[in-house]
Amino acid sequence: MRLARRHLLATAGAALALPRLGQAQGLTKVTLRLKWLPQTQFAGFYLAAERGYYREAGLDLTINPGGPNLLTENLVASGNEQFGLSGGMDSVFSAREKGLPILCIGVAHQVTPFVFVAKADGPVKTLEDFRGRKATAWFTGAHLVLYGMLASRGIPRDALSITPQQVSVTPFVNGEVDVVAATWYNELNVLKARLGGVEKLKLFVAEDYGITVPRDTVIANTAFAQQNPRAVEAFLRASIRGWKASAAEPEAAVAAVMKIAPTIDRAHQEAMLPEALRLMQAGAAARHGLFAIDPAAVKKAHDFFVEHRVLAGPIDLAAAFQPQYLDAIPLPERLA
Amino acid sequence: MTGAAERLDAQLTVAAPPVGRVKLSLNGVARSFGAVRALDRVDLSIAEGEFVTLIGPSGCGKSTLFNILAGLLEPDPGGTLLLDGAPAPSGSLLGRIAFMPQRDLLLPWRTVLDNAILAAEIQGQKKREARELARSMAAEFGLKGFENHYPQQLSGGMRQRVALMRTFLFDREVMLLDEPFGALDALTRALMQRWLLDLWSRYRRTILFITHDIDEAIFLGDRVTVMSARPGRITLDRTIPLPRPRQPSLLTAPEFMALKRELLEAVEEESLKAFAANGP
Amino acid sequence: MSWRTLPRLAAPLLLIALLWEGAVLGFGISPFYLPPLRQVLGAIAALWPAYQSAFLVTLAEATAGFAMGALVGIAGGIAFAHLPRLRRMVLPLFVVSQTVPVIAFGAIVVLWFGNTLAAKAAIAFYLTFFPVTVNTLAGIEAVDPRQVALLRSFGAGSRELLWKLRLPAALPRIFTALRLSAPLALAGAIVGEWFGATQGVGAMLLAALFNEQVVAIWAAILAAAAVGSALFALVALAERALVFWREEL
Repeated sequence: MRLARRHLLATAGAALALPRLGQAQGLTKVTLRLKWLPQTQFAGFYLAAERGYYREAGLDLTINPGGPNLLTENLVASGNEQFGLSGGMDSVFSAREKGLPILCIGVAHQVTPFVFVAKADGPVKTLEDFRGRKATAWFTGAHLVLYGMLASRGIPRDALSITPQQVSVTPFVNGEVDVVAATWYNELNVLKARLGGVEKLKLFVAEDYGITVPRDTVIANTAFAQQNPRAVEAFLRASIRGWKASAAEPEAAVAAVMKIAPTIDRAHQEAMLPEALRLMQAGAAARHGLFAIDPAAVKKAHDFFVEHRVLAGPIDLAAAFQPQYLDAIPLPERLA
Repeated sequence: MTGAAERLDAQLTVAAPPVGRVKLSLNGVARSFGAVRALDRVDLSIAEGEFVTLIGPSGCGKSTLFNILAGLLEPDPGGTLLLDGAPAPSGSLLGRIAFMPQRDLLLPWRTVLDNAILAAEIQGQKKREARELARSMAAEFGLKGFENHYPQQLSGGMRQRVALMRTFLFDREVMLLDEPFGALDALTRALMQRWLLDLWSRYRRTILFITHDIDEAIFLGDRVTVMSARPGRITLDRTIPLPRPRQPSLLTAPEFMALKRELLEAVEEESLKAFAANGP
Repeated sequence: MSWRTLPRLAAPLLLIALLWEGAVLGFGISPFYLPPLRQVLGAIAALWPAYQSAFLVTLAEATAGFAMGALVGIAGGIAFAHLPRLRRMVLPLFVVSQTVPVIAFGAIVVLWFGNTLAAKAAIAFYLTFFPVTVNTLAGIEAVDPRQVALLRSFGAGSRELLWKLRLPAALPRIFTALRLSAPLALAGAIVGEWFGATQGVGAMLLAALFNEQVVAIWAAILAAAAVGSALFALVALAERALVFWREEL
């Protein structure tokens, strides 16, 4: 009883003390707001924090998870948070279009991180078979990729039913939906597990239809970045160190995440990490290193969204995407 | 007897003056509520140490009179109210006269002892001292062994005794008792009456006692006053020449019966008036 | 709490446990909808330190907000009872504040306080203070006017009336409000944790929900129930100590 009470007090005390004043000298106090709940999609950041890479780089960094009710761009724009891992390029475009003071300092997933999935033993074998079927996609950008894929084969988007996708993939598993969106690192693993292996699935990959929408953009508050370019650079450098360590020691990376969120499923997290790493090391990353901002990919994605009228008009890409913080880090350090 | 009780005894009995000095005097005291005249020119004078009972039909303005005497209600301008011969405007009466309402109004979160000392405590007396005094008086009020009980654990008679003790401990020379035994059964009521007389003979407070019960009024009072139906005024003021100490056998004595008959007629008349005016 | 209350509390819990296990076994319910209790308890046991600290974090958040809400509510009720002008000016604002849905409020609070205990406590506070204010006010106003008259005849001023009569007499109603508010404070803390918290039962619930870990969802629900029970028990103990004089509750 006494022990429990002391524990309670200690926990309450620790929680109360969270907005700590007077940090260790010389460290800049910053936060990173993630786009979703803790999982190995973000393992590199957690491992870097656990191993003190941010401290070594002069930053006292707190990682705040995202969630269903949060928009990373808004929180970073408010200035309460300095860094964020945001949605796709489209999130950056639309935040800039709205005039939010954020800028993109890096891109994590170099290729489209999701695929569209049908059941291998079902009626959908080719994109042509989407006609008359039921598909779901996240209306935070994934639906546009689907429109683009359909357009590339001359299929009008109203030839099938496309509705917003909820978090659960259960409707697809139960056969209520024919085609579902799935990230390589998360839902696809769930589908493999629930339907009995990848051979039970038919995948439709955006890149096969000439579309690439890099996602998981790293953003910073504009004013903070302009006043603290060294801190931004230090943040990227320590994050890259964390991700390289995660690639080299995946068990340690999974453990770092599990320490933060002990109740999540370890096997699922172990399966997620290599997929997340693959997406980060793909495309431009091979030549320009982790978090590389590929101007060609940015331009292509931008034009794609302008074409689909997601954006009212072109935006100033040079102002929105600023690779100079990344470029200040020597290339060999950045290469995976 | 403990030191504290002796001290109280001294306080209470030392100045038992010869009956005769006027303690409380009302002259043409009236009160209206809007168009309703509740009290109509009440004239009443009570001598020091006197026990005066007041009877009247329900709704005759007895409570209005009591609230005025307790300082809770302002009388209409015009009349005079003297306490110890000095004019007493309404506000100044708060805390000067010990008032005991019909219901015991005990606080359920206070023990018997703490309820009894409530008034003393509000008057700024030290809690410990007040408790000590109350403890020493508990036996006298038939509450020995119940000092630390809560009101809800007591019988109606006991609760009434706690309320009386509270009134006594609120050390004031004039006590207003508003039908204190009205809710008790006949047997308990008779016991309480004798017990009250016993207390009064020892402490000699000036008492104005409201009741519905003519037997009670005669048995207790030095004088019985009758109040008229609304608007209330004193219509009869009868001295009760029965000797004290009074015993229960008195209730069946012929002189008692004669007084009762006389008062009954007066009260009945008022009740009929009230009935005609307001309905039952 | 006496030795007799323990079996009185344990019996319904045991009954629920039996019904749960029985239903799962008897009706062959898919574990996707309702996993066996054994499995849920097993999951909690396997990660006991994690569940324990989540329990304590959420309990601390809810209790902090609840305590603040109770204090502000009681003080507000007293102030409104004594100052009719203040009541006319401020009470409508209190009412309007309650028309903002707590979810919308949560989004603002996370902007103001970030990921801190204060953020969750603020939401728990937001859900708590209003019912306590209203009930304190009602409790004070329901005091028997004859009792007020009696104490005034003893010479009591407004301060003495408040401490010796009004506040104690209002306690039963205040505690009614506190009993109603305790689960609200828990809901507030959990909603607060849905806005990017790293710790607590609500954060666990959210992670389990979005990872479709059915067992973990039920484990988080049990943990939340434990927090709610602890909070309720605190209120009940306080009530028993302070409102002992009221007839059996």
